[in-house]
Amino acid sequence: MKRAPRGIVAAIALACVAGTAPARAGSAGPSAVIRETADAVVAVLNDGALDTAQRRKRIEDIAYERFDFDTISRLVLGRNWKALSPAQQEEFLREFRALLSESYGRRIDRYEQEEVKILGERAEQRGDVTVQTKIVGGQANDLQVDYRLRQKEGVWLVIDVVVEGASLLSNYRSQFAEVWSQGGPETLLKRMRERKIATEPASADAG
Amino acid sequence: MKRGVRAALGALALAGLGCASTPDPWEGMNRGTFWFNERVDRAVLEPVATGWDWILPERVQTSVSNFFDNLFVPIVFVNDLFQAKPVAASQDVGRFVVNTTAGVAGFFDVASRIGIPENDEDFGQTFGRWGCPPGPYLVLPLLGPSSVRDAFGRVGDSASTIYGYFVPWAVTAGLTTVDTVNVRAALLEEIRQDREESLDFYVFVRNAYLENREHRVRDRVVPSDEDDLYYIEDEEEDQP
Repeated sequence: MKRAPRGIVAAIALACVAGTAPARAGSAGPSAVIRETADAVVAVLNDGALDTAQRRKRIEDIAYERFDFDTISRLVLGRNWKALSPAQQEEFLREFRALLSESYGRRIDRYEQEEVKILGERAEQRGDVTVQTKIVGGQANDLQVDYRLRQKEGVWLVIDVVVEGASLLSNYRSQFAEVWSQGGPETLLKRMRERKIATEPASADAG
Repeated sequence: MKRGVRAALGALALAGLGCASTPDPWEGMNRGTFWFNERVDRAVLEPVATGWDWILPERVQTSVSNFFDNLFVPIVFVNDLFQAKPVAASQDVGRFVVNTTAGVAGFFDVASRIGIPENDEDFGQTFGRWGCPPGPYLVLPLLGPSSVRDAFGRVGDSASTIYGYFVPWAVTAGLTTVDTVNVRAALLEEIRQDREESLDFYVFVRNAYLENREHRVRDRVVPSDEDDLYYIEDEEEDQP
């Protein structure tokens, strides 16, 4: 009688440790990550003390924390990633991270009165999870936005944003493949540098 | 109508066979048309839409948008019937009646407020539902991104625009112009940003268009399985 409960207790204790270990590191599940991100973004948008540039900067910072730019960069270049030298990989990562963060900041800054509603989660291959959301209110009313997340060292990070079926990852992937086929990695990196100069003449440094 | 549809289906089946691997075999021609459209947009449509946006308050623009959405509801209805969706079709009838009367010729979307959902259908989506692949990507002069299937769909859409048979041609042209400017006005910031942030705007539009259309054919239900988009090549070899 005594042995069995002890065995069960031990098993439960083990299960708990195993179950909580990654959770402790990451603390939040995929939906919670998206919820927190959306709330953080709304807080920035509603902060009357910030001007447009400051608002965008804050939202870019949020994107920096929540997106897995390393994985996104590898996925978006596909087999071409391996063809880059380490220095080129680093430059690509830096440029692409700046591009995506700016893009995210600008886009969100346009959505003023919208509310993000989380509809549910869907398990994907490779342990990924898609969090399905909908934007309610404002000009983007009823817009379906899905976030695909992948766990990295216990933390759920966004690896794709799919707006009404159009995947950000897939879109950049086809653009990069096109530019690559025209002029290889040098042309691609050059185009990325030029684009940034064209949009953001003031701040050239991405950090 | 029936003959047209059948001919369209035949052409689509043929087109579908040739384009399994590349969605854009006519890229050269498409790029030419695309840049022509871009020049027209920058020279005429974008400036006009900017003025429109500056003059008209957002509420008025929304009403104009409601009006044209309502005019399109009969087409949605026909396509819900073609796709054997009786519930959706009855919603379309309810929506059209309510918005045309209580909503003052469609300017006010009363139907949404009383909980009648808005359905998104057209002939291109119906052909897709019937199993027609989109076929090659096709950029239409002035009309923008399309596919062989959706171009045939557009023909079906205009043929079933009922009011077009009862008003002079000039009225239809005028209404189409207003609709175009009003839609473009709602997209001023969006398109500006997309142009600035893409490395190849043609590819950006093509990819977004094709993915969005298939999404709508599936009635916004996302298929659970994915292609190799989320798979890092040589991933296993990277592992120690």
